[in-house]
Amino acid sequence: MVAMVKMRIMLVDDEERFLQTSQKMLIKHGYDAMVASSGEECLVKLEQELVHVIILDVKMPGMGGIETLKQIKQKYPMIEVIMLTGHGTAESAVEGLKSGATDYLTKPANIEDIVAKAEEAFSRHLALEEKIRLVEAIKQAHI
Amino acid sequence: MTTPSKKSYTNLRRHIIITLCIAAIIPVIFIGGGVYFEYRKSMTAKIKNQLTSIVMHHKESIERFLHEASAAMRLVVELKSFEEISQQNTLQLIFKTLQIEYNHAFEDIGIIDHKGNHVAYVGTHDLQTRNYSSSIWFKEAMEKQIYISDVFLGYRNIPHFIIAVRQGKGESFWILRATINAYTFGHLVENIRLGRTGEAFIINTDGIYQTRARFGGNVMETVDSNFLNIEHFDDLRLWETEKNEVKLIRAKAWLKNNTWLLIVQQEVDDAFSELFNTRNRAIILFIFGIILVGVVTFLTTELLIKRIEKADKEKELLDEQLIQSQKIASIGEFSAGIAHEINNPLAVINVEAELIQTLFKREDYKKESEFDDIDDSLREIKKQVNRCKEITHKLLNFARKMDSVILEVNMHNLIDEVVAMREREASFMNIAILKEYQAELPLIFSDPSLLRQVILNLINNAIDALAKGGELVIGTRIESVKNGSQKNNSQNDTVVIFIKDSGMGIPEDNLKKIFDPFFTTKPPGKGTGLGLSICHGIIQKLGGSIFAESEVGKGTIFTIKLPIEYK
Repeated sequence: MVAMVKMRIMLVDDEERFLQTSQKMLIKHGYDAMVASSGEECLVKLEQELVHVIILDVKMPGMGGIETLKQIKQKYPMIEVIMLTGHGTAESAVEGLKSGATDYLTKPANIEDIVAKAEEAFSRHLALEEKIRLVEAIKQAHI
Repeated sequence: MTTPSKKSYTNLRRHIIITLCIAAIIPVIFIGGGVYFEYRKSMTAKIKNQLTSIVMHHKESIERFLHEASAAMRLVVELKSFEEISQQNTLQLIFKTLQIEYNHAFEDIGIIDHKGNHVAYVGTHDLQTRNYSSSIWFKEAMEKQIYISDVFLGYRNIPHFIIAVRQGKGESFWILRATINAYTFGHLVENIRLGRTGEAFIINTDGIYQTRARFGGNVMETVDSNFLNIEHFDDLRLWETEKNEVKLIRAKAWLKNNTWLLIVQQEVDDAFSELFNTRNRAIILFIFGIILVGVVTFLTTELLIKRIEKADKEKELLDEQLIQSQKIASIGEFSAGIAHEINNPLAVINVEAELIQTLFKREDYKKESEFDDIDDSLREIKKQVNRCKEITHKLLNFARKMDSVILEVNMHNLIDEVVAMREREASFMNIAILKEYQAELPLIFSDPSLLRQVILNLINNAIDALAKGGELVIGTRIESVKNGSQKNNSQNDTVVIFIKDSGMGIPEDNLKKIFDPFFTTKPPGKGTGLGLSICHGIIQKLGGSIFAESEVGKGTIFTIKLPIEYK
């Protein structure tokens, strides 16, 4: 029996108050939530922390959301990234999806929506991990 | 930008007409004037040549006649002696021969001795006994070997002149004298035919007519002293003069050793009649040409002005559309920026409200008397945040750059699909949806998805306008760009879609603004005022045009014109 893995979420947004309150809410929902106020900070924190799902704002000063996404996916391909877009349109989301994002949310998003999308992404993540483990096991068996 | 006023078109019309008339008439005047001048010059030269040639020809004829007659008489006196020639029958023979040779110009012939006695005579007059010793001609003949007199009356009292040939010298000389009938001689001169008024005559140095002038002036009459300036010159003179207020062109040449002046003259009007006729015809043609130029210029200008007016109107319409597009684009850009910025604080408000809601879920808070009010207030905050979200998303959608996917579209099928979506709701509201489709409407190349959005928006608006029920007509037709023909299915034709409702109509002031972003007459919360603006943007993007006509109390009609080919 495998122990239940607790989802670790990281919220990346330049809006400090949004980060703080959202973090509180996610913690209240029982998640391990971290925050980063820029793409750069996110990448620094990822070097130290294990994260399953990242909610990443598209429009941020400095390193933008899309660039951050590309770097995350390059270094940590297993991390599921959900783009948080201020645009009500599919364009920025499409660009994100093309660059490897799992899904997208439009601002202002409810915590329920964030949680729901994050759970979906986490399930995907777990399923993928499971598949990898299975493949590894088969490989081991053949050896 | 405003359309030029009627006055400015009138000014433009006047300027064009004046410029075109000047541009057309000045070259005609120059060319016509030049051609006429050259023609006149050549005609004048031709007439003068004609006169010169007549004068020279007549001069030659007359001088030849006088010279030959004198020479013949000279020969006679050389061949015959005084005794021989004094014989009546010899003289008779000589006279007859001269008559035959000189066409009866000789009237008589006689022999005069050195005393002036008429010793022999052949002729019709009784001159046998006459003595000419005191006659001027006799004295002149004594001096000269050959003498030709001026015309005079003499004993016979008939105008004539004589040719006298002297033979011998001193007291033994004798003279052969012949009389030339002035009238017969005159035929040599008078018979000229020169136009209607041409005439020729001879005068002597005293200004006495030696031959008859056709239009006044008989033999032996004196010429009007003002009429002629008798002076000697060589060769020939040609000049224009005036007699009794009639302009004449005249040529003259001296004859008979400068004793007779041959004059040929013709009225200028007659001589130049061909030129004047040509000039008159040219003037008539010129006037006719000017009238024609005027009429053509006027008609051309009218056509031009109409086209300019039409082009100005089209330009004005395009300008308006351009301004509208620019307005929409700038408003779109501006609102998209605002919408994007608002989304962040909205997200904060939303998450804060959610936090408060979560915090208040604790049981002890629920017991508080104001809990329900606080909970209701938080729900309202979330509701209003969602409303704001809807608005900002619409704004962002409005500013979004649309990529069109061009496909072959059957407009009737597309309208049917959209109508089907709203038909049920319309029937509940007592709205009858009627279709007036053009038979054989061609397929168009356009973006069906965007067109669906536009048609749906317009149908929704029409349904909103028919809150108390009524009629909604949606129809199509073909409009020919070239000639307005309804049947001509060329690639330049446009497909017209109209959506007409029998609703309350739109006041004129509002009608001007309906395509402006954020313009709405709906109550707050019911409309963003972006629907028609988005429709306008879509139709423009598809290369078409959209406009609305409305009458308060009667209804509104929206018309969309789309090209068959997407450009």
